[in-house]
Amino acid sequence: MTAPPLTPDQGLQRVSGPPRWQALASQLLGLLVILGAWWLVTDVLKLYPPYVFPGPKAVWTEISYGLWGTGPQDGKLLSAIGSSLRRVLTGYAIAVLLGTIVGLLMSAWRPLRTTLGGYLTGIQSVPSIAFVPFAILFLGLNERAVLFVVVLEGFIPVALAVSGALLNVPPALRVAGRTLGAGPLGLILRVLLPASVPSILTGLRTAWSFAWRALVGGELLIAGSTSLGELLEVGRNTANVALVLATIIIIGVIGGLFDTLLRAAEGRVRRDYGLEVPQ
Amino acid sequence: MTRKALLTLLTLTVTTTAAAQEAQTVRLGFFPNLTHAPALVGLERGTFQKALGKVKLDAKEFVSGTTLTEAFAAGQIDIAYVGPGPAINAAGRGMPVQFLAGASEAGAVLVVRKDSGIKSYKDLGGKIVAVPSLGNTQDISLRHILNENGLKPKADGGSVTITPVAPADVMAAFAAKRVDATLVPEPWGAALEAQGHKVIGSEKTVWRDGKYPTTVVIVNAKFAQANPQLVAAFLKAHTDAVAFINKSPVGAQTAVNSQLLKLTGAKIDPRVLQRAFSRTRFTTSLDLAALTEYAKLNVEAGYARSAPDLAPFIRK
Repeated sequence: MTAPPLTPDQGLQRVSGPPRWQALASQLLGLLVILGAWWLVTDVLKLYPPYVFPGPKAVWTEISYGLWGTGPQDGKLLSAIGSSLRRVLTGYAIAVLLGTIVGLLMSAWRPLRTTLGGYLTGIQSVPSIAFVPFAILFLGLNERAVLFVVVLEGFIPVALAVSGALLNVPPALRVAGRTLGAGPLGLILRVLLPASVPSILTGLRTAWSFAWRALVGGELLIAGSTSLGELLEVGRNTANVALVLATIIIIGVIGGLFDTLLRAAEGRVRRDYGLEVPQ
Repeated sequence: MTRKALLTLLTLTVTTTAAAQEAQTVRLGFFPNLTHAPALVGLERGTFQKALGKVKLDAKEFVSGTTLTEAFAAGQIDIAYVGPGPAINAAGRGMPVQFLAGASEAGAVLVVRKDSGIKSYKDLGGKIVAVPSLGNTQDISLRHILNENGLKPKADGGSVTITPVAPADVMAAFAAKRVDATLVPEPWGAALEAQGHKVIGSEKTVWRDGKYPTTVVIVNAKFAQANPQLVAAFLKAHTDAVAFINKSPVGAQTAVNSQLLKLTGAKIDPRVLQRAFSRTRFTTSLDLAALTEYAKLNVEAGYARSAPDLAPFIRK
């Protein structure tokens, strides 16, 4: 197997970009500073009682028991992560599919764009948690209500990104596609969509963070099955602030990891499309 | 030498200010439930205020042990009527909690929706059961009932969905068929029963033949240390309220109903209230053995890793 040839800008980046380890080291240092400050405030200076603000050690205990503990009630974080991820990925997939279809329709048909487009921006400004009571009444105290909120939050950025991206495709490409014999469907699939991939990816990334936040909000109010939201609620109800903080950290880490993955894909695509000139 | 003098001076100042800072208000937390009847009766008849004299009573109503415990942790509540579940959790997490007295025993029933097809505890498999809030006293009891009947909550790999629903909202949840059963404190059980729903777990079969605390009175240990007289006066008023309830139940029911009307804007049918009363016992004594067993059930339910020794938390 031969390695794929380097693109010119990949070569450029190797030479002039900031070394990756340096960024990693500074991030690690930042984490250590935060952990140290936290430990100093709670465990050393004891500025707050542990039932108000527990130290890193207590939170670490919750994380370790929750992830790889073997007691009868341990491992709850792990199963909560599993079911929350399953839920958000299902919702996200539906949102992307729905958003792409709606975005395509909006880009193709001006009346839909001017009416629905405006409403979507309005709905997007409503925090997801505000939809939860309605979702409960509409769908019941169950998984579907959570999915509803996730899909609703996730599909709007996708729809807006897809329709915006398609509209921003340079007219020359359309003309060229038609001249070369593409039909309406061929034009969409082989010219317009590939041309708008970078903007769509940005929309997908926004949709992810919206969906993840909506999920946790929904789970918090629609508790009843294993989920990260339920763990937050249980931690609150049993005065276990360490569990609350552990769950918050896990939520942040998972959200961040996915965002990093999507960001990497986005950066890659933008480079391949020649949109990013490395410094 | 100078340092020592300074330290003595500092200690003196601290002690004098502490002595001067005798509380001007007693902040009381409670729920608008029948199991909190001593609080309702004490408020309605002015028993607490009379006992406290010039010190103002600031009574705050809560809907769940969670928010009450949060207020307690934040130092916004001095004395509270609360279920043993949240109280034990608070003690286990190191909050300055002292168990002052008992308030009510039993008074929680398991009601199933009339068209749910549930006849016994064993039929709860695959159903949705509501509790006032996750980790509260009824939730812990429910998990124990399931355990005794070979059932498991969904979160532990079983089939029973346990969902938190405020008792006042259970009627609506039953009507919309969103919930199949509920373990609730009175008077909600009797009110659901009056609508034709069935009690499959009476206050006696829920746990320990009905010999379990449902509401206890706790006090902030720091407050108790700084205001021993106020706490003693409050305890006396609480004892009087419980004695009144046991001596004249009818008068107590009237008092409870008019206090509930003020708090919730709704009056309860006197027959419902009477039935709810018959299922609840009012007492000031604290059953340490039952509380300790509760702490163990709390561990069994997965809400704590170890049961705290509660004896040091009981106010002598």
